[in-house]
Amino acid sequence: MPDDPDIWLHIIYGFLHDISIAVYLGGAVAMEFVLGPAQAAIPPAQAQVMGQKTADRFLWLVWGSLSLILVTGFLRLEHMGMAMWHWPFFQTPGGLSESYGRTLLGMILLWCVLAINGALITWYFRPRLQGKLGTQTSAAHVTAAQTAKMAAATWVQRLTRIDLVVAVVIALMGASLKWGGLI
Amino acid sequence: MDTLLGWLHAMAWAVYVGGALTMEWVLRYAQREMPGPQVGVVCKNAGMRYRWLALACLAVIGVTGAWMLLRLDEAGLLARPGAPMLSLSDSYGRTVLLLTAAWGLLLATVAFMAFVLHPAQRKRSKPEMTKDEVAAERQRVGRAISRMDKALKFELLLAVVSVGIGASLHAGGLI
Repeated sequence: MPDDPDIWLHIIYGFLHDISIAVYLGGAVAMEFVLGPAQAAIPPAQAQVMGQKTADRFLWLVWGSLSLILVTGFLRLEHMGMAMWHWPFFQTPGGLSESYGRTLLGMILLWCVLAINGALITWYFRPRLQGKLGTQTSAAHVTAAQTAKMAAATWVQRLTRIDLVVAVVIALMGASLKWGGLI
Repeated sequence: MDTLLGWLHAMAWAVYVGGALTMEWVLRYAQREMPGPQVGVVCKNAGMRYRWLALACLAVIGVTGAWMLLRLDEAGLLARPGAPMLSLSDSYGRTVLLLTAAWGLLLATVAFMAFVLHPAQRKRSKPEMTKDEVAAERQRVGRAISRMDKALKFELLLAVVSVGIGASLHAGGLI
C-alpha cells in the first residue's frame, strides 16, 4: 500500500473520475439498450410510469457524474502540475500549443455540450412531457397537447443519442491523453 | 493502436460498471412503483439483456487488457511516473495480478448468474401439480431470486473495487 498521502490523493481523484465517467457512459448505454427495450415489453400506461421513474432517477446520476467529472478532472490536472486556480488555468503540456492541451480543450467543450443537452432535457423538454390536462379541455387542446408531448419526447430521444455519441468521443479523447493527445 | 486499445478497454469497463450501477440505482427504484407481474416481465427482459451486455464487456476487457499487457515494454514502463515494473516484486505487477483475479471473479459471477441463477428463477408449474408441489416450487423460485440478489450485490461491489484497483495503476499500484 502506498504510504504517501499524495499518492492516495492521486488514486482517489482517478477513481472518482473513472467511476463518474462509467456512470455517465454505462448509464446511457443501459438506458438506451437495456431499460428502453425492457419498457416496451409491458403495457403502454405502465411503460410511461416506468419511463418517468427511470428518467427521474437517471437524471440525478447524470448531473452528479457530470459535476464529478469536471471537478475531479481539474483536481487531477492540478495534482499533476498541469492546471492552476488562476488565469490562464492550464500550463504545459496542458496549453494549446501542444496536442495534449488541444485534446483537453476539445474534451472540455464536449463536456459543455453534454451539460447544455442535459439542461435542455431536465428543464425544458421533460416538464413538457409531464403536463396534465383538465377535465374541461377541448378536443383541439388535447390534440395540440399530445402533439407537443410527442415532439418533446422525440427531442429527448434525439438529445440522449447525441449525448451517447459525444460521451464515446470524449472517452476516445481521454484514452488518447496517455499517449500525448489526439488533435 | 495503443489509443484504440485503451479506449476500447475503458469503454468496456465504463459500460459494464456504469450499467451495473444504473440497473441497481435506476431499475430497482422504478420497480417499487410497478405491479408484481410487470416487475417480473421487466426484470426478466432487462436482466437477460444486461447479462449478455456484461459478458460481452468482460470479454472485451479481457482481450484488450491482455493485448495492452503484451504491448508493454520496459522502456515504456520506465518512462511512466515512479518507473513501475511488471513483476511481482513491484507494486505495479502485484496490482495487475490482483486486477486480473478480480476480472476472473467478475466473469465467473456474471456467467453463474446468466447460466445458473437466471434460468433457476423460471417457475415450472404444471396443471397436475399438488398444492405442496406448487408451494415447494414457489419456495425454490424465492430462494433463486434471493441468491440472484446476493450475487448482484457482490458483483456490483467487486466491479466498483476493480475500478479503484485500475485507477491505482496510474499511481504505480496499490498493494
